[in-house]
Amino acid sequence: MHAGSLGRYILQRLALAVPMVFILLTLLFLLLHAAPGDPVTATLGGRLPPEEIAARKEALGLNDPILVQYFRYIGGAVTGDFGNPITDPRSVTQIVLDTAPATIELAVAGMLVAVMLGVTVGALSGRLRDTPFDIGGRLFGILVYAAPVFWTGLLAQLFFSVHLGWLPSQQRSGGFDAPKDITGFYVLDSIITWDMAALSDVLAHLVLPAVTLGLLVGGIFIRLVRVNMLQTLRSDYVEAARARGLREHVVLFRHAFKTALIPIVTIMGLQFAMLLGNAVLTEKTFTWPGLAQALVNFIAARDYAAVQGIVTFIALMIVAVSLLIDILTGLIDPRVRY
Amino acid sequence: MGRNDMTSTPLRARLHHAWRPFRESGRIARGLIYSGAGVIAGFLLLAFAGPLLYPYGGTQYRVETEPGEFATFPELAPPSAEHWLGTTKDQFDVFARIIDGATIAFTVMTLAVSIAMVVGVTLGLFSGYRGGRLDRIAVTAMDAVYAFPPLVLAIIVAFVLGAYVSPGVVSATFAVGVVYIPQYFRVVRNQTLSVKEEPFVEAARSFGARNRTVLGRYVFFNVVQTVPVILTLNAADAILVLAALGFLGYGVQPPTPEWGYDISQAVDDVAAGIWWTALWPGIAIVLLVTALTLVGEGLNDVVNPLLRARGKAGRKLNAMPRLRRARRQDDAERLAARVRDLRVGYRTADGPLWAVDGVSFDLRPGECVALVGESGCGKSSMGRAMLRLMPPGGVVHGQVEIGGTDVVTAPESEVRRLRGERAALMFQEPMTRLNPLQRVSDHFVEMIRTHRPKTSRDEARSMAREALVQVGIPPTRIDNYPHEFSGGMRQRVMLALSIVLTPRLIVADEPTTALDVIVESQILSILERLRAEEEVGILLITHNLGVVAEACDRVAVMYAGKIVETGPVDEIFNNPKHPYTRGLVASTISLKTTELRSIGGYPPSLVDPPQGCRFAPRCPYVMDHCTRRPPELAEVGPEQRAACFLYPGAGQPVPYDVAVPSGDPQVSGI
Repeated sequence: MHAGSLGRYILQRLALAVPMVFILLTLLFLLLHAAPGDPVTATLGGRLPPEEIAARKEALGLNDPILVQYFRYIGGAVTGDFGNPITDPRSVTQIVLDTAPATIELAVAGMLVAVMLGVTVGALSGRLRDTPFDIGGRLFGILVYAAPVFWTGLLAQLFFSVHLGWLPSQQRSGGFDAPKDITGFYVLDSIITWDMAALSDVLAHLVLPAVTLGLLVGGIFIRLVRVNMLQTLRSDYVEAARARGLREHVVLFRHAFKTALIPIVTIMGLQFAMLLGNAVLTEKTFTWPGLAQALVNFIAARDYAAVQGIVTFIALMIVAVSLLIDILTGLIDPRVRY
Repeated sequence: MGRNDMTSTPLRARLHHAWRPFRESGRIARGLIYSGAGVIAGFLLLAFAGPLLYPYGGTQYRVETEPGEFATFPELAPPSAEHWLGTTKDQFDVFARIIDGATIAFTVMTLAVSIAMVVGVTLGLFSGYRGGRLDRIAVTAMDAVYAFPPLVLAIIVAFVLGAYVSPGVVSATFAVGVVYIPQYFRVVRNQTLSVKEEPFVEAARSFGARNRTVLGRYVFFNVVQTVPVILTLNAADAILVLAALGFLGYGVQPPTPEWGYDISQAVDDVAAGIWWTALWPGIAIVLLVTALTLVGEGLNDVVNPLLRARGKAGRKLNAMPRLRRARRQDDAERLAARVRDLRVGYRTADGPLWAVDGVSFDLRPGECVALVGESGCGKSSMGRAMLRLMPPGGVVHGQVEIGGTDVVTAPESEVRRLRGERAALMFQEPMTRLNPLQRVSDHFVEMIRTHRPKTSRDEARSMAREALVQVGIPPTRIDNYPHEFSGGMRQRVMLALSIVLTPRLIVADEPTTALDVIVESQILSILERLRAEEEVGILLITHNLGVVAEACDRVAVMYAGKIVETGPVDEIFNNPKHPYTRGLVASTISLKTTELRSIGGYPPSLVDPPQGCRFAPRCPYVMDHCTRRPPELAEVGPEQRAACFLYPGAGQPVPYDVAVPSGDPQVSGI
């Protein structure tokens, strides 16, 4: 009975994701085609002879009617073909495969930091409402959110790498120690190959960027968990749990805290998007060779085709993550399955 | 304050009302707002007066010493009297750039948020008003934009705009503003949609008010509290997005001073050990964003009723001292509960109040006593106080003896062990009293094993099944979640939870109010059986006299925190003595009713209760001395007592010419 309703719920979510993807891609297409001129001229105009540019445009299908281009774009996007950059011989799909693991690894590590920080400080703040701990916790949450990641990253580099010399400040690994590239996720690769030297090196490189990124989202989590905790603490079922004579720590953990976490899971998709956005800044600060860094470079080169491809991939990833989060919520919270 | 008067009340009164939460807000919320506002004011001063006071401009790299003679600023000079915060590698003055950066930040922030708000509100009103397919597409599109990484969105917008205009304030403003449109859209659209269907809008339309004016005004007053919160938090975020764009090189045109861009220019300095070029712009960002967030958070604390602190404002009440160890009393009678001079107080912004003020009664095993009265008379406070379940700021005084323990003074662990085991409390809202994430079985197992640690899981489950059977729920449903039950079934689950450990006392606070008549009589008959077969003492708190007549032996009538009359059910219904009880009985409809009577006026404020009898202001029999001192409970029948000066024994001689009411008030009047 439960499995059936969960299956139905997942199908429902999938059905909702389809129009979402469609509208998101359409918006992106419109936005990127709002710029005047064509991508080839914008990127290479003045650097190649006009006939060369015309030939390139023809080859990329840029002379086709806009609707044809639109359907080609949508069709490509849903089949995993994100087009070809003008300034890079690789396809966008290949670029994504090369760089996305680095970004995802960073984002996941950042999320981990954020959740650990947000949940502990937020829950304690909510429980100890209006005490000095609460005020300090709230202020800390606001401060870490208010500090731009590139600035915090810079200060962290200055202190932990330059001043103390404890942690590396650039790149994903020290070069020689890099694990054999299997999945592209270095932490995973070094565990698969059981290469401990690589693992410690990779983790050391991951610490500063992940903490820098995680602090930012952690600040948001602190606020959220605190507010949810305040609300569940005064909820009817918490009072009823007390009335049944349960021990205070059981009331706090099993009844107040656990339900307070559900909204956190629900908005994790949104926070993941924010994390990806700020990964752009983190990757630049720590010269992390990820997808966001690639996007920034293509933007600097005004390579429309590549930008469109990468952004499309990001959009699909966002929808996939929010779908995943929805399913996770369904698993945790029995109410939403109905 | 009905919503229907919204169109007729003047704007000022409505805004005054919207402002009320702020006036009533706690110290911390105000502290957040004031300190944040102070810092913002400082930055505004810096942004607009700074350029006039500080000698240098943000893009100035030299100073004219004599006409035609220029001295360039030093490169990367540390802070000094000349250059307060040092100079950059481009020979700019850091402090001058902070000042000009503040001007840019305020300009972009204000414009961006205004654009987002205007566009979002307009689209939201339109979409919600139109409804239909257009609305659905707009909602999905806005959700899509909202889900997209805001920073990436801003970068792309800046990138596309870069093809039309050279980077600067205009492109940065639009790039930042686009990000926030969905939030305003969502709030306003949802409001419009819900307001559109309200009957009073229909009514206002039929009076000839123009559709859109009415709609606009309602939506405005419904969002006027939430939008400022979003606005401030967006403004804070806008500063960060602008700085990020600047850092990546898509913000304003270099060398225009902008904090994010300035930090990007200082990256290499940091590696060389030069700290002042990167530190100050960063601190400026952190300070301004923190200040804006503080204001937003503070406003949210004020506006969101769920976040308002309870029991924090006003004068504090002293709690009764707790004992280290429970004092055991062996009373010969073995009462289910013995209550003496119980007082329950709360802290409120208007001053402390006593919701229950000196209540005493006994509850024998196997007896059902009803506690009746209007809402707000202190009944529910009584129920909770019986188990010392007090909200923050609430205190209990007096004596509540259950099973030889004085609940009021016993240590917490002692009282906790009592709850659920020896005395159970049932609440009135069954829908929200079970933990939505736990199966029904978890509720039982958890509770049974807390009180009887030696019970195994299986034993606990079979006890739970038995209890469920007793309340008429198929034991096969033991592993269902609360949301899989109807309201009536949930209340029976709550009842099963209350009886599973066979308590000697059940306090049932309006256990049937939210339920239909059939479920009501089921619950009452279960309580009746427990009383007769298990000798459980029941305190039934209700305002429903029909329920009382069906289930109880004795009645205690409460008015404004005091018991005004007690007696056997028959006497209370057929021959009530206290004028309030008479009014209460007269106002219920029965077959005997010839006309519907009700008591005029309202119960008094408990912050400042009347000095004498609390019912005096509404009493048709009021005499001079009623307003001077409170009456005591006078014996008016074999087991009946009334706190009224109409009867001898209330503490005042009764004048001989007073017409004392008697008989059934539905027949003979109050």
